Amino acid sequence: MKNYINGIIAILAFCFASCTQHPSVPNATCEIDTLPAIFPDYCDVTIPSNIAPLNFMLPMQEYESCVARFTTPNGEQQTYGRGVKVQVPIDEWRTMLDSSKGQSIKVEVFGQKGSEWLAFKPFEIRVAEEPIDEYLSYRLIEPSYVAWNYMEIAQRNLTNFEETEIFNNVVTSNDKSIGQCVNCHSYQNYKTDNMLFHVRLSNGCTVIVSDGKAKKVNLKRDYTISAGVYPSWHPTEKLVAFSTNLTRQGFHTSNNNKIEVYDLESDLILYDIERDSVSIVSNDPELLEIYPTWSPDGNYLYYGKTVALPEEMRGEDIRTTYEKVQYNLYRKPFDVTTHNFGDEELVFDAASLNKSATLPRISPDGKYLLFALGQYGCFHIRHNDADIACMPLTDDAATDIDIHKLNSEGMPDSYPSWSSNGQWIMVASRREDGNFCRVYFSYFKDGKAEKAFMLPQEDPEMNILFLKSYNRPEFMVEPVKCSVQEFARAIEK
Amino acid sequence: MIMISRDKLGRSSRYVSLLTFVAFVGCILYINRDVLYTAHDRSEFLYGTSFFDSLMLKPFGFMQYVGAWLTQLFCEPLVGAGVLALIWALIFFVGVKAFRLQGHSTALMILPIACLLTSVVDLGYWIYISTIRGYWFSQSVGYLFILTLLWVAISTPRNWHIVWYIVAVCLYPLFGWFSLLFVLCLIVMGKFSWREVVGILLVFIAARIWRTILYPDRLVEEVILAGLPQFETSLDKSESLTVPFWLLGVLSIILPLCGKFISKWYVALLSLVIGVVYTLSFMYYDDRYIDEMRMVRCAYDDKWNEVLDIIEDTAEPTTTMVMLKNVALMHEGGLLDKAFKIGNISYPINNPDSLHVTLLDIASPLVYYNYGMINEAIRLDYENAIQAGFSPFYLKMLSRCALAKGDTQLIEKYNAQLNKHLFYDDWKPAPVKDAIFELQGAYQDELTGVENSVGYIVTSISLWYDTDSKLASEQALFYSMMRSDSKRFWKSLRKFVKLHQGEEFPVHAQEAYILFLDKAPEEKRMKLPVQETTYSRYKQFWAVLERYAKSGMGKNELAEKMRQEWGDTYWYFNIFGRRVY
Repeated sequence: MKNYINGIIAILAFCFASCTQHPSVPNATCEIDTLPAIFPDYCDVTIPSNIAPLNFMLPMQEYESCVARFTTPNGEQQTYGRGVKVQVPIDEWRTMLDSSKGQSIKVEVFGQKGSEWLAFKPFEIRVAEEPIDEYLSYRLIEPSYVAWNYMEIAQRNLTNFEETEIFNNVVTSNDKSIGQCVNCHSYQNYKTDNMLFHVRLSNGCTVIVSDGKAKKVNLKRDYTISAGVYPSWHPTEKLVAFSTNLTRQGFHTSNNNKIEVYDLESDLILYDIERDSVSIVSNDPELLEIYPTWSPDGNYLYYGKTVALPEEMRGEDIRTTYEKVQYNLYRKPFDVTTHNFGDEELVFDAASLNKSATLPRISPDGKYLLFALGQYGCFHIRHNDADIACMPLTDDAATDIDIHKLNSEGMPDSYPSWSSNGQWIMVASRREDGNFCRVYFSYFKDGKAEKAFMLPQEDPEMNILFLKSYNRPEFMVEPVKCSVQEFARAIEK
Repeated sequence: MIMISRDKLGRSSRYVSLLTFVAFVGCILYINRDVLYTAHDRSEFLYGTSFFDSLMLKPFGFMQYVGAWLTQLFCEPLVGAGVLALIWALIFFVGVKAFRLQGHSTALMILPIACLLTSVVDLGYWIYISTIRGYWFSQSVGYLFILTLLWVAISTPRNWHIVWYIVAVCLYPLFGWFSLLFVLCLIVMGKFSWREVVGILLVFIAARIWRTILYPDRLVEEVILAGLPQFETSLDKSESLTVPFWLLGVLSIILPLCGKFISKWYVALLSLVIGVVYTLSFMYYDDRYIDEMRMVRCAYDDKWNEVLDIIEDTAEPTTTMVMLKNVALMHEGGLLDKAFKIGNISYPINNPDSLHVTLLDIASPLVYYNYGMINEAIRLDYENAIQAGFSPFYLKMLSRCALAKGDTQLIEKYNAQLNKHLFYDDWKPAPVKDAIFELQGAYQDELTGVENSVGYIVTSISLWYDTDSKLASEQALFYSMMRSDSKRFWKSLRKFVKLHQGEEFPVHAQEAYILFLDKAPEEKRMKLPVQETTYSRYKQFWAVLERYAKSGMGKNELAEKMRQEWGDTYWYFNIFGRRVY
């Protein structure tokens, strides 16, 4: 259906593009020495050479019209603007990017207020030589508490605006009284022939695609506390590390964080797809392990693990101790031939800084470790103080790491990941309003992250009007090839 | 002579019947004006491609989109009702042509309209939980389109019918079950031939063809008979509300057949009577249902005096009404002097489908917001809106909550949606009252679980005794009385007295003080002055109660007898009250 709709939209877009007007540059009566308050904020960002047009708009309440003049390094200029929105046709944008690789596009924005045209301080869009992975997948869901309704895992082509469904929670026959939840999509090495996601409650299972074929598996064993939860594919083997979690959530009565998600118990397991076997990686009865992730060479498994609570707090209700639950980052060496793990090593001692580190992600060259850092707990996407942090892992990594431009101030930034070439960092962040998660990208080179920019949309207003969150964004270098029906058939088998 | 008289009689009966039916429709819509307002308030229509795309994932989605857009008009109930009535008038005239009704039989078109009218006034409490987008207009608009198509189709030669059957199947994604109805109507209107066999076959396979082509990611049952309203949530189901649409379908097939044969002078009168009786029989009407809607609207508009006016005229208020009344008294003052006089005993809603509808669905974000429990208000806004849609009610409440929390960006986000609504282009959240700010700062943060019941409000507020806020201490005292919880009462009373020094001791607080001093005293007793009259009344209350009880009166009779004289006291609530949680 979405293809059909997209087809119609593409035809309409083509018709629209054919008659795109290039407005003339207005005679500005007032020059302003500040950058325009465009949404999304694309001023002075660094972008991949293959990204979709960075359409933007001026605030509707303040301006009647907007015109933007783009000047490429070869001196070519073009203007765009319809109402308060600036939407660049894909082919013209592509031409601009091609002629600006490694250089910058100058953007001059003019805004009409009443009868007056204001000329803002121009800004630049730097076009990096390095492309970004072509695809991105995420779960679309309202920022929910307990109830949910329709949800889908979708994939977006980052070079244009095409979004298609990977799976939704209504295509299989569900028991409506309990509903169905789909989550935790994950891929091996950015490719989709080996991937997985979970289906919870009605028809509950883990759907694993192995060599392009979808099947359902039950990862719960007598000796595990749950089925697999947070997954990570081994980069070369048919192995997936999972955490197993007994998760609960609580609701703050006045704290701005509003929701707290915490584990009563959690361990780590390793699932061997070909043998359908589950083995324990770590199950310290006193501590909580979570968010496993493999090093790019597959020789280490990184994860978060709590430090012991102060003695007087042990055994207390977690609703009173949750602020003292803090995770450090550890790793265990892994022998690919024997599937054995070595001794645990501490990688980052967050607790000594009175912090909690989660969601470790290692850069494809193995030099850097990204993670989410907050005051406490494991669910930083609900913590306003949470930011992304980065540390070197090897001696040849840059030591003066600076990624402050990636983070927001006072809003949750979490779920970091690397593009397959290691030049782009992606994060999920509630920075626009504190509630709705959006996807941001940042250029990373030599330990420095550039200003993050929001996932572009065909209509820039969509990110304001859209009442769902982008959950668990994951890069892919190719689209998911299994259809929704193939997944549905595998689940209903 | 007799023939002429009958003809005249027939014609006049037709006109009288039609005019009477028009007046009847007008009356029904008018008395349901609060229902229509609530329909707009609880119906989702979102601007932006996402909402449109989400509806287009299923056949009939476009009609739902049109219906959802038109539902905005109910913000001004008379405007919305006028447009709906206009669509029905068009249905009447187009239907007469499409079904080839002539003379007296034209009045038969009253019957499909009665079905559509019934379908908008029979929902009852489903209005708060239905997930059908654009329900209020989509069926009428879809039916009008298909009748128009039928009118065109019957004007073409019979051998063209096969083309129309195919056209109707092609239109299935737009008109859903109405496309199939069109095919059936056209089949019964012509002579039966191989074309009609093809038509029948198409009716059976149309949905499956379209599921294969356009809707492979939907369940078969979502595509078959798409658009025929199904009232089902994870907890509730109603078959009866689909009956008007089945009747509409059956009538649409029968009318072209009957029209030829039923052309007696009394047809108009009979249609009128059947239409009126049918609508009146299945319309959901309950004064409290309407009053509750009016209270919610007044409470939303901060017209607290009007909230109190409405409940004072209500003999058996619902839980929602009682809670809103107590919020009103908080804002207007006099909670501990008037709350039990007005009444704190609530009565069950009239609920034929045994729906799981409570204060939570009707007004909980509003109640939580006014008690300064903003995080809870936001949570319940989301819990409800995710199921029933981000309708104006929930968007407005979310915007007000964002203002109370100081979330400027969120206010802009919710307002961006609302300001595109036909009637909310200048809408802004009302300033947050000082009382709400005061209560918001009166309690400590804590982590709670999934506690949605009314009892959660009562229990939470009754724990606010450890506060320096005068308002919060009054609320804590009141809700400890509502819980009949002596422990919390004494703690709350101490704080209340400390914070309200030099002020009059409210009547209901005196009543509770006397009662708990008598029945559940603390070791270290508080000594507070109470009015002589209150104390004497208390003694009389127990004397009379004892006398009635000794006479062997049943519990209900005893409660009724006592209510007449003591129904305005806390003692009566404490002994006989059905608690609101």
